[in-house]
Amino acid sequence: MTGYLVRRLLGVVPVLLAATALVWVLMFLLPGDPARLMAGGQGADPEILRAIRAEWRLDEPAWVQFTRYLGRITSGDLGTSYIQGRPVSAVLRDHLLPTAVLACAAAALASFAGVALGAFAAARRGRAADFLVLTLAVLGASTPVFWLALLLMLVFAARLHWFPVLGYGTDGWLLPIVGARLPEWDHLVLPAVTLALLTMGAIARVTRASLIEAGAHEFLRAAAARGAGRGRIFLRHALRNALVPVLTVLGLNLASLLSGAVATEFVFAWPGLGKALVRAIALRDVPVVEGCVLLLTAVYVLASLAVDLLYPLVDPRMMGTSGDSV
Amino acid sequence: MIRTTARHRSVRIARALLAGAVLGAAALAAGCAPERPAPPAAEKVFRFRLREDPPTLDPAMVTDNLSDAVTANVFRGLVAMDPATLAIVPAVASSWTISPDALVYTFRLRDDAFFQNGRKVTAQDVAWSFRRVLAKGTNSPRRWLLEPIAGSAAYIEGKTPDVAGLATPDDHTVVLTLDHPFAPFLSMLTMTGAAVVPREVYDDATKGYLRAPIGCGPFQVVRWQQSNAIEMRAFDRYYGGRPAIDRVIVRIIENRASAVEEYRAGGLDSLDEVPTDLPDDIKGDVLRYPFIGVGYVGFNLDLPPFKGNPALRKAFNYAVDKEYLWNVLLPGANTAGRGIIPPGVPGYDKDLPGYPHDEAKARSLLAQAGYPGGRGLPPITLWVNTSEENRQIAEQVQADLKKVGVGIAIKEVDWAAYIQAVEGTVEQPGAAQMFRFGWYLDYPDADAVLRLQLHSKNVGPPGNYFRYRNPAFDRLVDEALGLTDPAARADRYRRAERMAVMDDAVWLFLNYYGSMTLFKPYVKGVVPTPLGEFRIPLEKLRLEKTGS
Repeated sequence: MTGYLVRRLLGVVPVLLAATALVWVLMFLLPGDPARLMAGGQGADPEILRAIRAEWRLDEPAWVQFTRYLGRITSGDLGTSYIQGRPVSAVLRDHLLPTAVLACAAAALASFAGVALGAFAAARRGRAADFLVLTLAVLGASTPVFWLALLLMLVFAARLHWFPVLGYGTDGWLLPIVGARLPEWDHLVLPAVTLALLTMGAIARVTRASLIEAGAHEFLRAAAARGAGRGRIFLRHALRNALVPVLTVLGLNLASLLSGAVATEFVFAWPGLGKALVRAIALRDVPVVEGCVLLLTAVYVLASLAVDLLYPLVDPRMMGTSGDSV
Repeated sequence: MIRTTARHRSVRIARALLAGAVLGAAALAAGCAPERPAPPAAEKVFRFRLREDPPTLDPAMVTDNLSDAVTANVFRGLVAMDPATLAIVPAVASSWTISPDALVYTFRLRDDAFFQNGRKVTAQDVAWSFRRVLAKGTNSPRRWLLEPIAGSAAYIEGKTPDVAGLATPDDHTVVLTLDHPFAPFLSMLTMTGAAVVPREVYDDATKGYLRAPIGCGPFQVVRWQQSNAIEMRAFDRYYGGRPAIDRVIVRIIENRASAVEEYRAGGLDSLDEVPTDLPDDIKGDVLRYPFIGVGYVGFNLDLPPFKGNPALRKAFNYAVDKEYLWNVLLPGANTAGRGIIPPGVPGYDKDLPGYPHDEAKARSLLAQAGYPGGRGLPPITLWVNTSEENRQIAEQVQADLKKVGVGIAIKEVDWAAYIQAVEGTVEQPGAAQMFRFGWYLDYPDADAVLRLQLHSKNVGPPGNYFRYRNPAFDRLVDEALGLTDPAARADRYRRAERMAVMDDAVWLFLNYYGSMTLFKPYVKGVVPTPLGEFRIPLEKLRLEKTGS
C-alpha cells in the first residue's frame, strides 16, 4: 500500500510539470503584453515599459523565463503577481478557501442527494418516480451551468428571497491560522446547489444502476434469509456494494466540479480560484495563471488518488488490489 | 474473505474517517459560520458595485477608473476638481498663486489636513510624494503629470538628487517652478497620481501600502477581501468634515445580470454599467449625465486602404448612422458624436458639422476615393475587444457600410490581444486597420485628447494609434499649451479639431459618452459629474432610509 502511494505521488510530478509547460507555452502564444498592462495600458510611456520589462525580466527569451520559473517553484516560490505586486502564494491563499468550501459543499450535496435519489429510483424501478428521477438526472447533467445559476438566482433569491442573490458575505467566520474568512452560510447555498446539480444526476443514475445490479445478487437473499431487516440489507449490503461505482463517478466528475466552479463563481460573484484564474489570463498575469493551474492540477490529481484509496475502505475486498486496479 | 483483527479495525477507523470527512463537508453546506453580526442600527452603509478588483490602490500607479473608484475617496492632492463645475478648488492647499509668467506656482497648505494614520500633512510630504512619482524606480505611469516641473528630467535620469523646481520653504508652503508655461498643469495636479502620501507608510520595500493605503481623504480602506469586497470607513479628521456615511462597501460583482438582480434585491445602493433594458421596478432610479469621453472607430493611417485617402475615411463617416446607433440600437446615456472634444470641455465646438448620416454622399466619396460602389477595396477588418456592446456597434457599422457596397470583417479579441494590434510600436503600425475605441479624458482639458491621441510626437503606444501626422495640427496644439488666456486656448483647440475632423477625418466619429448610474431613491446628495460615475463624491452622500 505504501509503495503504491509513493508511486502514485511521484506520478504527480510529471503531470504538474507537463501542465506548467503547457500553460507557459499557451500564455506565450497568446497575443498581449503584461508589461503594457502594468504600465497603465493605453498611452504607456515607452521608457517605463522598458524599465518594467527589465525589472520583471520579460525581455528575456521565453525558454529562459520558463527555466528560471521552474527553478523557483522547486524551491517553493511561486513568484509575484505582475498586476497585484503580491506573492502568488498570497493570491492563491485568498482564493483557495472559497473554491474549496464551494467544491466540498457541492460534492457532499451531490453525493448525498445523488445516492438518495438513485436509491429511491431503484426501489421504484419501472414506476413513474423512477422515470422522473432519471429525467431530472439527465436534465441536471445537461443544463448549462450559467443558465442554471441564473435560474436559481432568479427563483430562490430575486423572487422568493430565501437566499442572498450573490456574493460571499463579508462577515463570515475568520479562520485563525489560514487568515481567510469562510462564507456566510446563506450565501453558500445557491452556488453549492448549482454546482452539485451538475454531478448529482450522474451519481443518481449510477447508484440506481448499481443497486439494481446488486439487488440481483444472491448475498442479499442470503442476508434476508438470515433475518436481516430491510434497512440493514440496504445499508450494509446493497449500498456498500453500490458505492464503488459512485466513488468512480465522483472522481471522474472532479474536473467538472472544478470547471463548473469557474462559471458558478462568475455568476454568483464568488471570490474563488476560477475567478482569479480567468482574470489573470485576461491580464496576462502569467505567474498567477501558472499558480492557479498548478494548484488546480494538484488538487485534481490528489483528489483522484484519494478516491482510489477510498475504494478498499468502502469495499474491503479491494484491499491490496489498488495498485493493480488503477 | 479472511481478515486479521487489526485489519478489520483499521478499515473501521478509516470508514469512520471517511464518514466524518463527508459529514464535515456537508456541514459546510449546512453552515458552520456564525450568524452575521448585525450592524449598529444607526450606522449608515453605502454599497456600490465594481465589476472587478481595482488593479492597484497605490495612487502613483493608478491609471484606470476601477482603481480611481476607491483612491478618489482615500487620497487628496494639493488641489481638487469640483465634480459638478470642473473648477479647480482647494484641497490640501488652501490657496495658491501663479506668477505672471505662468512658471511659478506657490501653494499654501491648510493647517487641518491629517493623514489617516493620525499625522499632520506637511509640505515635506508633498515634496516626497512628488519625488516618489518621478523617481525612476517607481515606474509610475503617471510620471508625466509632474514632468512639467523644472529639473524633473534630470532627477528621473538620476543626474540630480532632487527636483530643482520643487521647493518647500517652510512646513506650510510648496513652490513648484515649471520649465515652460503649461496651461493644464493645475488641472493635472487634481489627479490621483499627484496625491499626497505619508513617507513612513509608502517608503516600504514590502509594499504593505498596496493592501492598506493611507491618504488624507474622507475615507480609509479598512479591509480588502480579494474578488469579494473592499470596505472603507469615514475618516473623522478629514479636513472637509466627517462624511455623513459611516461605511462604504465596494462589492466586486463581475456579471452585470447578477449585479442588476442584487441591486433589485437591495444588496446594492448604487449600480454602474446599467443595461438598456431595465426592469420596470428600477427604471425610475436611473441618473443620466454627460461624461468627458469620446467614442470612435479609429483608422490606421499607415495601412491601406486608409493611408493617404481622406475621401475614403469621410465616406465611411457618412455611411454610418450614428443617430440610429445611440437612439434606437443602444439607447442610453451616449449621444451621437460629431468630433473629438466632448461637451463640457473648454474648446467644445457646438457648431462642428461632423458627418451626419448620408448614404449618397458616402457613395460619391467612395467613388472619389477610387473605390466606386466599394469595388477594388482590399479586405478590411474592424477590430473590437470582447464586449456585448462593442459587438453590437461593430455589427451596425458593418451593416451600414454594406449598404454603400463596402464589406468589412469583424475581429473580436480580448483586451490584451486587442491593444497590441491597435498600438503597434513607434516604428511599425499595429495589425488593426480599423478599431473601435473610446478615450476618457484624464483631466477636463482638450489637451488630454488632442495632444495625447493625435500629436505626431505620440505616434504608436503613447496614444496616437492612428499614426496621424499633421504639422499644422501639432503647431496649434503646442501653441495652446503655452497660452494662459482660456479663450485663446479654446480657439486653438477648436481650429485643431476642425482640421482633424473635417479635413482629415482621422476617425469614424461615433459618440460622446454619457454615464448612466442607478441610485436607490433614499440615496441623497448625489453630484453627477462629467468625470464619470466613480468620481461622484461619496463624502457628500446621505442615506435617508429608515433603519439604515
